[in-house]
Amino acid sequence: MITGLTEEHEELREITRRFLAEKSSLTQVRKLAESGANRDDAVWHQMADQLMLQGIAIPEEYGGAGYGPVELGIVLEELGRALTVAPYLATVALAGQTLTTCSDNEARSAWLPGIAEGAVIATLAVADETGEIDPAGVTSVATSAGEDWKITGTKRFVIDGVGADMIIVAARAGEELALFTVKGDAEGVRREPLAQLDPTRQVATVNLDNALAVRIEDDATAVLARVADLVAVALAAEQTGGAAATLDMAVEYTKIRVQFGRPIGSFQAIKHRCADLLTEVESARNAAFSAASLLTQDDPEGPVAAALAAAWCATTYTHAAKENIQLHGGIGFTWEHDAHFHLKRAKTSELLLGTPARHRARVADLAGI
Amino acid sequence: MTVTSEKHALDAETDEEFRARLRDFLADSSPGPRPKDPGEKVAWTKAWHATLVDHGYAGPSWPREYGGMDLPFARQVIYQEEIARARVPGPLGTGLGIVAPTIIKYGTPEQKERWLRPMLRGDLVWCQGYSEPEAGSDLPALRTTARREGEEYVVNGQKVWCSAGVIADVFFTLVRTGTPKSRQKGITYLIIDRHAPGVTVRPLKDLAGGAVFAEMFFDDVRVPVTDRIGEENEGWPLVRTSLGHERAAGAMNQAATYRRILSELVDLARERGLTVDPLVRDRLTDFEIRVRLIRYNAERIISGILTKGEPGATSSVSRLMITAFEQDLHEFAVDMLGPDGIVLKASDQAVQRGRWLQGFLMTRASTIGAGTAEIQRNTVAEQVLKMPYDPAMPPR
Ligand SMILES: Cc1cc2nc3c(=O)[nH]c(=O)nc-3n(C[C@H](O)[C@H](O)[C@H](O)COP(=O)(O)OP(=O)(O)OC[C@H]3O[C@@H](n4cnc5c(N)ncnc54)[C@H](O)[C@@H]3O)c2cc1C
Repeated sequence: MITGLTEEHEELREITRRFLAEKSSLTQVRKLAESGANRDDAVWHQMADQLMLQGIAIPEEYGGAGYGPVELGIVLEELGRALTVAPYLATVALAGQTLTTCSDNEARSAWLPGIAEGAVIATLAVADETGEIDPAGVTSVATSAGEDWKITGTKRFVIDGVGADMIIVAARAGEELALFTVKGDAEGVRREPLAQLDPTRQVATVNLDNALAVRIEDDATAVLARVADLVAVALAAEQTGGAAATLDMAVEYTKIRVQFGRPIGSFQAIKHRCADLLTEVESARNAAFSAASLLTQDDPEGPVAAALAAAWCATTYTHAAKENIQLHGGIGFTWEHDAHFHLKRAKTSELLLGTPARHRARVADLAGI
Repeated sequence: MTVTSEKHALDAETDEEFRARLRDFLADSSPGPRPKDPGEKVAWTKAWHATLVDHGYAGPSWPREYGGMDLPFARQVIYQEEIARARVPGPLGTGLGIVAPTIIKYGTPEQKERWLRPMLRGDLVWCQGYSEPEAGSDLPALRTTARREGEEYVVNGQKVWCSAGVIADVFFTLVRTGTPKSRQKGITYLIIDRHAPGVTVRPLKDLAGGAVFAEMFFDDVRVPVTDRIGEENEGWPLVRTSLGHERAAGAMNQAATYRRILSELVDLARERGLTVDPLVRDRLTDFEIRVRLIRYNAERIISGILTKGEPGATSSVSRLMITAFEQDLHEFAVDMLGPDGIVLKASDQAVQRGRWLQGFLMTRASTIGAGTAEIQRNTVAEQVLKMPYDPAMPPR
């Protein structure tokens, strides 16, 4: 049985929301997006120092708050709602959860405290061509040189790859699939920003040419299976926040925009679309939350819940973002209005890390259809 | 075991013990196979509900003095899950969820005594007479009148779409006691005996060929004033009374029922070799996702009630989600069967006794009965999203 959110959770949401309202308004988001930055450094450090947001799902022994996927989901929902420009998904959800999932103490103590403090930006790169967390797509090759390893290959669609101090890379070490940490500025690492749709989040192509790497001693296949679920749920939470924000934006506008002598929100053609969106968004919220809660409990339903949340939340966000533009009319189509930022974030996060079609296929497999 | 000793047992046992006890009872006293003959089916259903009441297993949220179980909310949820699992017949008529809470809240002690337990046992089958030919979504436009003469009302008019109207013993109705234009300010809540002189019930054939609803005519029907619930002209607010929490617990029942139905559909698809078709598989996956979401939504509503005392926003949209789901599911099932999909249940060639086609037809009502989906969307938009009222609609 899935339990509800506690008062502590509501408090976490409230604090995060208030902080982001002040530090990450859409005006600030726009400024960062247009300047090409991947974060506001001061805000990033306040997030870590004052709110401990980067450490939310990191064990206390590594300087974190010791919570799990549910709490991380709450933070991500708020970050998604605010469209915050920050390498949070990459650092905390991708790299952070990979490290907390693995049992290699050296790797954990080398990187987790820095992530929790906000001192380290990190990310994860698994499948070479697609950027998905899919072992089958790993073609990079690792060769050992004594204690060290050298990796060669090209990782595409690496989220926040340019700004990362460390990239967790999957590569083939002979017959084995293995995970490695690679420093962003290591010799043999070349990173190129990708010109892509979402100006609020950076994506890179990372070329590795005999790049120096440290192996994470663990069963990489098992780690990645769990990480894929955790990341699906984390992204679903972020998408839920974005979807809720666009619905709010649309509803607020329908209350103030007057046509034919009445607020457009009093027309049923508008009302019904908003009511239908609410149905989708409420279900998205419950999908992301339930999946996080099932994964936390190691419930056997966790993986299928994660896959369905990934599929549902992604399409809900895109739908809500499109409706938001439509309900705004002409102004919604302009660069100066913020609606397009959500559309771009929504479409991008729908296609990175596995499309809804891929997640649906996984639901079918897991549910035995 | 007597009812009294079971009540004491209830206080001491754990949730899991309660579940096990209920499950055993449902297995041991199962009413047996459903009779085909409609008359027999009514008697069979009534007998089952009498058994439930007599053993203290009916009316999960009802007060004990009227035959109910007065269960805490969490136990109501367990109750609903087990009832869905056991596949036993539901109650007859439309009384329980709608009129019972109204009587419990607004009825006199005599009215409660007279009507509640018989309703629960199935001794009296109730039906709702709200809608009229000219008053469906616009219910306050109703025109059936009740004129007071001494200690009686004299009722004239017509009601329509009354589910279970044919088998009902008692009607709970809304009538106009105010001026013709008084709208919601001149409506009175009356209970009318089906056998009173001047009452005519005419079955209405539905689009599937059955007769689940009826129209009712009142021609100088005399109703004692003591059969009025609440005050004269003040019936409108009573329309909204319902055991909200019981309905929320019922969401679990629906979630469990649809889980089973979808699994049966997937089995059928597999038996017919259709799951290798990627389009079929993806559509089934869509239902798989939605059926799980329906359960997560139900769990969220329930946990909202348990922790905050309120069901939260999900509860207002879960009906929209479920009604669309059941319509889409049945239509897909018919499509998937191809030409076999059109075979009526009357034919011995019907696949699984024609249940999917029957479901396709019957679920047309899901988005109409009990208020249309359009009206529901209006309500969600105005009450949850706080969007502006439609000036064309009557004030609330
Ligand atoms: C199977 C079934 C069982 C029923 N059982 C009962 C029963 O037991 N007792 C009882 O009293 N009634 C019963 N009803 C009646 C039911 O409550 C009404 O059919 C329903 O409220 C719609 O009213 P209507 O049929 O007059 O349609 P109308 O109100 O005429 O609606 C026609 C169409 O117009 C739309 N519409 C109407 N007004 C608006 C508006 N303001 N905004 C947008 N769209 C609007 C509706 O959504 C619908 O699509 C039953 C109906 C069915 C189908």
